[in-house]
Amino acid sequence: MEQYLALGIFLVVALVFGVVVLVVAGLVRPKKPSPEKLSTYECGLETQGPTWVQFKISYFMYALVFLIFDVETIFLYPWAVQFQKFGIFAFVEMIIFIGILVVGLWYAWKEGALEWL
Amino acid sequence: MVSPLVFWIVAGITIIAALAVVNLTNLIHSALWLIVAFVGVAITYLILEAEFLAAVQIIVYAGAIAILIVFGVMLTRRGDIRESNLFNNYRLAGGLISLGLMATIVTMVVKTQWAIDVAAVPANSVGLLAQNLLGQFVIPFEIAAMLLLVALVGAIIIAKEVRD
Amino acid sequence: MQIQLADFALMMPEIATAILAIGLLIVGLVVPREQAKGISFLTVAGLVGIWLLNFLYWHENASLFGGIYIVDPYTVFFRFLFLTAAIIVALAAKDYVNTLERNQGEFYALLVAATLGMMILAGAGDLVTLYIGLELMTITFVILVGYQKKEAKSSEAGVKYVILGAMSSAVLLYGLSLVFGFTGTTIIADMVPRLTLSGASPLLLLGIVFLVAGFGFKVSAVPFHMWSPDIYEGAPTPVTAFLAVASKAAGLAAFVRVFLIALPELQPYWITIVVVLTAITVVVGNLIAIPQSNIKRMLAFSSVAQAGYILFGLVAFSSLGVGALLFHSILYVFANIGAFAVAIVVKNSTGSDEIKDYSGLAQTSPFLAAVMLLCLLSLAGIPPVAGFVSKFYLFMAVIEKGMVWLAFVGIMMSMVSVYYYLIVAKAMYLGTPNREAKPISVSASTQIALVICLVAVIFFGVYPTPLLDLAMNVGYSFFPF
Repeated sequence: MEQYLALGIFLVVALVFGVVVLVVAGLVRPKKPSPEKLSTYECGLETQGPTWVQFKISYFMYALVFLIFDVETIFLYPWAVQFQKFGIFAFVEMIIFIGILVVGLWYAWKEGALEWL
Repeated sequence: MVSPLVFWIVAGITIIAALAVVNLTNLIHSALWLIVAFVGVAITYLILEAEFLAAVQIIVYAGAIAILIVFGVMLTRRGDIRESNLFNNYRLAGGLISLGLMATIVTMVVKTQWAIDVAAVPANSVGLLAQNLLGQFVIPFEIAAMLLLVALVGAIIIAKEVRD
Repeated sequence: MQIQLADFALMMPEIATAILAIGLLIVGLVVPREQAKGISFLTVAGLVGIWLLNFLYWHENASLFGGIYIVDPYTVFFRFLFLTAAIIVALAAKDYVNTLERNQGEFYALLVAATLGMMILAGAGDLVTLYIGLELMTITFVILVGYQKKEAKSSEAGVKYVILGAMSSAVLLYGLSLVFGFTGTTIIADMVPRLTLSGASPLLLLGIVFLVAGFGFKVSAVPFHMWSPDIYEGAPTPVTAFLAVASKAAGLAAFVRVFLIALPELQPYWITIVVVLTAITVVVGNLIAIPQSNIKRMLAFSSVAQAGYILFGLVAFSSLGVGALLFHSILYVFANIGAFAVAIVVKNSTGSDEIKDYSGLAQTSPFLAAVMLLCLLSLAGIPPVAGFVSKFYLFMAVIEKGMVWLAFVGIMMSMVSVYYYLIVAKAMYLGTPNREAKPISVSASTQIALVICLVAVIFFGVYPTPLLDLAMNVGYSFFPF
């Protein structure tokens, strides 16, 4: 577990650093707000209409396909770690597992889940 | 051994994040707090020396599922996002029932004699996992693939209707 | 652990079902949409093939992969039950599926995938397998329940089912994890020596309470039944038929296996909860069914009540109880799917699920009315149709254990149930048909489904002995006490 101590220290330092920088900047900076400065983008276009719009379904479809294959990767990882110890049997098992999911990919493709329009 | 204090801090953060998920009125904020809760659970797994599970928790839950939820929220039609999670009419009743359930479970936990396993956690837990997954547990492993396939097909069937 | 390839041979029906599900999906992708109608034929043919294949395994009694999966007469019996239900539903669903604009092939693929989940659930010898099977079944049903996305009710039912199903799964999983924590094994058969009465700790008992709640949801026992009427009403009727019959039987199969194989030593603790649950399920299910005016809601509450009767077999805690439970489950398959099949036909023709629209059905379509009547009588348990014998044995099983009051409650409530079943019969036989009502034409595949149900309900009512003996033998080999 000790090796995670460094990670924990890093996390704490990162958090503290961010907070300290903001606080110090807040204390020392001059405060002269003007409408120009308070606009969302100082050098850009004003937003038109509400910012919370309905997203395209394609984002969702991609996230979905991504999730499924993300989970597949999780299953692949332990197998890959032990790959050389396992025989042909585990290999066949994994091929079947991937094969079933490839059918899913085929389905997604054919049904147009991967198209942007 | 990790100090129990670490666990209590992590557990506290996880619970606060979970409460924020339920109580905030902006669904996007809820989704972001959900990521904090997922990470808290991942750290708990780390404390239990289940590193692989912790990595899975981060990759799948804090990564993919959180994104999916955010997209799902952005996809649904609604009025103002700042008031998108208002189904909190039963806050009092729900809170009381949850507290009652928690009191019951805590009482049971305290009263139980625990058989504590002092054996060390095996070093190569991922390897053992692989041996079990591809050895004895081959049936649930392959059924999991079927489950993923069905979930993918079903989600596409449902989402496709939204597109048209 | 070394894997025995022979173990896979005993799982051929499951493997074949998985291949069928994937194959149907692929066929749906490859075949152009106009020719997709043949998929229903392919589904039924495939399922019948697996049904026949299953005969090879009658005399097996094996524990595969070190107890992960069990192929015993109990598993084989439930395989037959699920496959039978799937075949009849696939036949009866054809008309409904033809009305869909798309996703016709997927419907059958999902139907078969759900069947696979149920078979895994019934055969699971360890908790991980059990949970995966349960999830496969539940997630598939979520999709099927919300299949008519254009209808708000169907979508609503889908959302309700996903939320409530996830919650019940969470409760069940918590219970399973507690049991695993105390026994240190997920293999059900290995738990017995570690779960003794003296060693029962408070948290383990809490885990058992969670298990009862989780399984209670799946079999829709009161007070965990709230989801079923709304979801049964909103879902497409063929899906409702399958959900009400097969998913309930699958939940029951796992319920019985976990409680009778892993937890028999703790029976004095859990029996009280289960008895109370059973009694209120029978009472509440039957009483709330009376005022229902929608046939699907009425059948939903009736199926809640039926779950109560079936739980008598678990309460009895004997081989007679298990046998009666199995016998009643399989008769319930025919009677309930038969009733739902008529509801599908009527809905397709008149567009209504209201009982008042069944008025005069006997004059316009006497065959449909006859099937409906006999199936309802079987559900009510009136001789000579099938339900009577199985209910008789269920009541016998609890009386044998000295719970006469419970049998009395069951008999009283059976009489109550006759009333609401006969409301439908009265509408069909004594009501006057609508002026523009025409005889309802029934497609060939639906006719086959109806005839199967009708013949089964009559045949097993008149001559129950072979099936009864079979169920009793399975019950005895599963739980020889």
